Amino acid sequence: MSAASLPTSHEILADPQASEWLKWALKSAADRDPIDALNDALVLAATLEERLRREFDLR
Amino acid sequence: MNKRPDETVGVGIESTAVGSTRFATRQIRPRRGGSLLVGRLTEHGRANYQFRTDENASYYVRLLTSRGAKTLWGKDLERALNSGETRPKVGDLIGARRAGRETVTVTARRRVADGRIVAEEAHYAHRTRWIVEKVQFFAERARLARRLRDEQVDVRETVRAHPELKSSFLSVRAAQDFAARRIADPKDRERFLSLMREAMAASIQKGEPLPAVRLRDPLRTEEVSTAKPRPLRPDDPTR
Repeated sequence: MSAASLPTSHEILADPQASEWLKWALKSAADRDPIDALNDALVLAATLEERLRREFDLR
Repeated sequence: MNKRPDETVGVGIESTAVGSTRFATRQIRPRRGGSLLVGRLTEHGRANYQFRTDENASYYVRLLTSRGAKTLWGKDLERALNSGETRPKVGDLIGARRAGRETVTVTARRRVADGRIVAEEAHYAHRTRWIVEKVQFFAERARLARRLRDEQVDVRETVRAHPELKSSFLSVRAAQDFAARRIADPKDRERFLSLMREAMAASIQKGEPLPAVRLRDPLRTEEVSTAKPRPLRPDDPTR
C-alpha cells in the first residue's frame, strides 16, 4: 500500500469527517507501546469484521 | 507467479515468462463463486499486471482489510466498480467477490530479448468476472435472500416491500406449478423446490443481477427463433 493512500494520525484528528470513536482510539493508543497497540487493533478489526459478517449474514 | 505477502491476486488471465519470451496464457480456476472479501477501498486504477512494465494492461483494487492490505487484479474490476449498483468511492467499506468467468480473446505476443514483438497469436481465455459494491449492498442482498428462502413469508406483502423480488417469486411459483404437474413423488417435488429456491437465494445473496420481469414480445420471439446459433468453439464453457 502506498503511504499516500492512508492519512496520518494528525490528519485524522484534524478531519471533521472522521468519527469521534476513531479519534478517541487514536489518542488513547498514542501512550501505548506501538507494537501492543497495533496488535490489539488488528484483533479489534478482525473481531469487528466477524461481527459485521454475522449481523449482516455476509458470506 | 510470485505473490507479495500483503497481496491476494485475482485474475483470470496472466502472462507467463519462458526464457526471454513472454506470452499470454490461460489460467483456469475451478472456483466459480468466491467468498466475499470485505475492506476499506483505498485505491484503484489501471496499471500493468502486478505493476510490472512487461505485463499486460490490467486493473487493480486495493483494500485495507482486517487482515492487512490486499490488492486484487483483473480487467473486469474497472467495470465492476464503475457499473455496479452502489459505485463505491475511495474510503467506502466495500465487498468484492469473484462472480464467475467469461470467455475472451487474448493476443499472445512473442518477444525477443530487446522487447520487440516478433509474433502474435489469438487465444480464447476466461476472464474473471467481479462484483464490487458497498458492503451495505451485500447486507441488503442477504436480507432479500432470507425472504426468498422463507417458505412461510407472505409473498404479496414481501413483493410490495421489495418489488425487485417479484421476478424471483414468479419463478418460484412457476417451479411449483411445474413440480405439481411433472413430479409425482411428493418427496422429490419437495426436494426439487427446495433446491430451486436455494439456488435462487444463493444467487441473490452473492450479489448477482436480479432477474427483471419481462413480458413476452411476439416480435422479439420471432427474431430470436430465426437467429442462427453461433458455432461452438473448443474453449467455450460447457455451461
